Amino acid sequence: MRQDLIQEVADCHKIYLGDESRRFGQAESISFPTTEGEMTAVLTRMWKSQTPVTIQGGRTGLAAAAVPQGGHILNLTRMNGVLGLREAEGRFFLRVQPGVVLSQLRDNIARRTFDTKGWDADSLYAYHRFQVGAEQFFPPDPTEASATLGGMAACNASGARSYRYGPVRQHITALRLTLSSGDPLILRRGECRAKDRELLLHTEGGNTLTLTLPTYQMPRTKNASGYYIEDNMDAIDLFIGSDGTLGVVSELELALSPLPGHIWGVSCFFAHEEQSLCFVEAVRSLGDAIGAIEYFNCGVFELLRRNKEENPAFSGLPDIPRNADNAVYVELHCTCRKDAEELLYTLGQYMEAQGGHEENTWVARTQEDLDLLHFFRHAAPECVNLLIDQRRKLHPGIAKLGTDMSVPDDCLHQVIAMYRRDLKEAGLEHAVWGHIGNNHLHVNILPWNEDDFAVGKALYRHWAEAVTEMGGAVSAEHGVGKIKAEYLDVMYGPMHIREMQQLKAALDPEWILGQGTLFPVRKEASV
Amino acid sequence: MKIVVCVKQVPGTARVPLDPVTHTIRREGTRSVLNPFDSCALEQAVQIAERTGAKTLALSMGIADTELLLRDAISRGIDGGMLLSDRAFAGADTLATAYTLSMGIRRAGGADLVLCGKMAVDGDTGQIGPELAEFLGMAHVTQVTKILAVTDKSVTVKRKAEGESQLLQVRLPALLTVVREGCVPRLPSIRGIRAGERARVPVLDANGLGVDTGRTGLAGSPTQVVRTFMPQRESEAVSLGGSAQEQSTALISLLQEVGTYA
Amino acid sequence: MPKLHIDSALCSGCGLCQSACAFGAIAVAGKRAVVAQSRCILCQGCIGACPRKAIALEAEKPDSVDSVHHKGVWVFGEMKDGNPHPVTQELLGKGRSLADDLGCKLTVAVPGLDAARYSKTLIQAGADEVLLCESPSLAQKLEEPFAELLAREIGERRPEIVLIGATPFGRSLAPRIAAKLNTGLTADCTELAVDPETRLLLQTRPAFGGNLMATIVTKNHRPQMATVRPGVMAPATLNSDRRGTVRHAEYDVAYSAVQLLQRIQEQTDSDLSAAQVVVCAGRGIGEKKNLRLVRQLAQALGGTYGVTRPLVDLGWSDQSRQIGQTGWSVRPKLLISCGVSGAVQHLAGIGGTEMVIAINNNENAPIFSAAHYRVVGDCVEILEQMLLELKARHN
Repeated sequence: MRQDLIQEVADCHKIYLGDESRRFGQAESISFPTTEGEMTAVLTRMWKSQTPVTIQGGRTGLAAAAVPQGGHILNLTRMNGVLGLREAEGRFFLRVQPGVVLSQLRDNIARRTFDTKGWDADSLYAYHRFQVGAEQFFPPDPTEASATLGGMAACNASGARSYRYGPVRQHITALRLTLSSGDPLILRRGECRAKDRELLLHTEGGNTLTLTLPTYQMPRTKNASGYYIEDNMDAIDLFIGSDGTLGVVSELELALSPLPGHIWGVSCFFAHEEQSLCFVEAVRSLGDAIGAIEYFNCGVFELLRRNKEENPAFSGLPDIPRNADNAVYVELHCTCRKDAEELLYTLGQYMEAQGGHEENTWVARTQEDLDLLHFFRHAAPECVNLLIDQRRKLHPGIAKLGTDMSVPDDCLHQVIAMYRRDLKEAGLEHAVWGHIGNNHLHVNILPWNEDDFAVGKALYRHWAEAVTEMGGAVSAEHGVGKIKAEYLDVMYGPMHIREMQQLKAALDPEWILGQGTLFPVRKEASV
Repeated sequence: MKIVVCVKQVPGTARVPLDPVTHTIRREGTRSVLNPFDSCALEQAVQIAERTGAKTLALSMGIADTELLLRDAISRGIDGGMLLSDRAFAGADTLATAYTLSMGIRRAGGADLVLCGKMAVDGDTGQIGPELAEFLGMAHVTQVTKILAVTDKSVTVKRKAEGESQLLQVRLPALLTVVREGCVPRLPSIRGIRAGERARVPVLDANGLGVDTGRTGLAGSPTQVVRTFMPQRESEAVSLGGSAQEQSTALISLLQEVGTYA
Repeated sequence: MPKLHIDSALCSGCGLCQSACAFGAIAVAGKRAVVAQSRCILCQGCIGACPRKAIALEAEKPDSVDSVHHKGVWVFGEMKDGNPHPVTQELLGKGRSLADDLGCKLTVAVPGLDAARYSKTLIQAGADEVLLCESPSLAQKLEEPFAELLAREIGERRPEIVLIGATPFGRSLAPRIAAKLNTGLTADCTELAVDPETRLLLQTRPAFGGNLMATIVTKNHRPQMATVRPGVMAPATLNSDRRGTVRHAEYDVAYSAVQLLQRIQEQTDSDLSAAQVVVCAGRGIGEKKNLRLVRQLAQALGGTYGVTRPLVDLGWSDQSRQIGQTGWSVRPKLLISCGVSGAVQHLAGIGGTEMVIAINNNENAPIFSAAHYRVVGDCVEILEQMLLELKARHN
């Protein structure tokens, strides 16, 4: 192992002590391995000295999973190679290292250009086929495109398009992991399944692990809370969404999908919230061609209108129609133009059926227009961050308070009514937006001071209980990380938490990986 | 009042990637789009029409499927479109293009105000506007950032000059080329798209337009490309390697050496 | 009717022409490239891409214009706020060398009321003749009267070449003149030379929205007109021994179609043209918010910052900060390029830089061909590190 692989954390490493959750931690050492060999060497060293390890990718996570609580930071951003390509049954599969950045990956796929240095002959042949074949894309679209693939796998990332394409889990066909002891584990989808709740894993080091899976039933909704557990589950799914607590991903195989010929975005403005909720339910019936359904409430409009006037960075925002209270954004993914047109006119009819008007729509059919709507959609979280940063100057005790909960389809009206009622009663400023297609909305409370913040936190907990009762998930896409560990408890209860801890202990007996993530450290190394 | 907006279809993206091995241009499956500067010209025209009741027309010289672009303009609030399309128009430089467009505007009954985008992203010359104005015999102003007042006799505009802005009053008929600043082109609504689909867009060829084909297309272009080539690619640069931290330290030392940073 | 022709004997079906065509007009079928004439707009972008020179343009031979009687190189001497614009001296430098190659006179035409006292300097910079026009109708710098005067003089004197600086005014003036004279104009040339055999002006500029250069000629029309961006050509050196003549022209037409109502000075703190240290941001900075890192570094080094065209197109920055063919040409001592890929149009804007340090995470990025120091890495990370280190050293 080269001398300078493991470094002492110094001033210049400050940025690595925090992530997008705006939490900060501490650590004694840090490394940036470039190969699996280096990564394993570091892990082995830490395992021998029982030093806790926090795994990091792009540090774009919102739940502080990448924030270290002492010990060593294993930063994988320099393991960013694309290693090979495979074609099977008309689909393409890309092998990547965990530090590959999503935006870079998207760019490479769109331009059909990869750095193929070191690729074997099979990969080069597949590359040629990829360059001349139909256009491909990688569907998962989390908001922060500077995320790394390893991180996306760790939190089972989702985005607007997960409505149609599912979370990243559905696009990972193989993983190569290293357990905390340095023992590698290779998992290919379909090759290793549990028997009911018993799972047998065979590592590359020749060890066999018998895992007893927790007994809980996951909610049927969009879910990124705790371990993915199912009867007869595929072993690979246990590690996807495990928030950096079970093993370190050293390689992923990603499935690419054919790019729909026509992607159109339609923003539909309504005067009343009830109209949009019914509209959403109607749109859900339109089937496969709907790529995404997103929502922005009146609180978002207020924020955007204010920022457009005051902040030059947002002067490029289009003017929101005067009489609009909220908007539903629908994305159409069609093979041919005719289908897209027909669907568009159907949306117009559905709008009118709810008392809306089809002239109160923005339709994006060109890349420039789609980018504008993209900018519009991402302005909401950006404006919230700016606002909180501003208010935090006077009240340092406040922080961002955004929920990430999902409920089943039939609870949509109920959960929105609950949010509206509770926030009105508490008198809290707020903005709500999100993936309404999956009944997954981000309720962002905008506290003015520490009192607001405390009331907000209490509401959050109350909602976690209510959402669990409705059969939903407390974290639908951001992951539990460190900041939502208490809500995982609300969702599953102490017994199931213990089961998860036992599962972790079977894979990481010394409890080295991701301390503080998902649940507190257990004093006993094994049970 | 009659406003004509000249628009052009250009390749989908200005970001043209290079094949790393052969160093030639790679097409990315790009679709043709409306020249981004022209979307601002269209938006300005629609805004003026909303204020004054003027009639607006989108005009383009291009291949057959440029018609889609004109329908898209109609979906964003333009009243009508006209396409000038003929093999005889292909290969035109700016002079030949300006001539052809001027004939189109005459055929459409003339214009009080002609709007063009500042330049096309694939040609970058910014020459069509002034040349077209000369052929139409109207005054022209380039780099217009804001159209402040419109009457049936004149327009008052703000434009960018070097190191300053200028307020000008221009007598109609006139041609303006507009820049993108402060302009957010509106998106079509579902209703607008339906209007665009249903509109009648006349397509005129050389005969229909009554042009002298010796002045259109390649035949009418004084400038010709005689050679295209890749610029030299050898890199004799000194590499600074290592981790981000190491590179940063090396850079700062280098800056100290050259005296930029003490 | 002109059309594109692919020689099937030479064609190997490699498909490079297909890749180069931005309009989808070429397809490879059965190991041969075929042109869909209905989609081909004759842009000629494919011709340079073919490694076997199998593609050619079939065109009828037009009549040649009597170019024997056109002699001389003219430069439009733009004035700015009472002084010659810096681009005038640059064009005189280039104009002089073209005139020497052709063995003819160099004339600088300087309409306006404030030019007369610079005649001597203009001659020392290389002009054989200074053409002044001090008529009151030209008191304001407006395109139409200037174009009319110059077109008239050019029509009478018949130079073979006319050069105009691609300043905002020049870019508006030159095409108006070209249309009046029904001649060819090439904008933003990065190189100008005389072909020794044909005596034609070879006008070279980046083209096809990408990484190709194109050389253009105006074969059969006169004058051959070209514009050049400020900062691209080196300024002429003054030679106090040079002698020349001064001529006066009149222009008595009253012009009223355009009236200048007000001039508003802009607060441009982005004086890129004079900056000695420039930090330039490209698409590789990833997000708009990372521009602050570039700004901070520029500030820390006592310089200014610029951006490449994609960032302006994305709305992340203003056109006043754009460095490249259609923006500023810079000649600083030091340029630090962050996440810039190095499109030819951008490189055209930085040719005068003494030291280029380029940071890009793609080791094949074209920017490295123009760099003195090459840093392969994530520019955002490196910028963050540099700022931390600079801060630490400061304390």
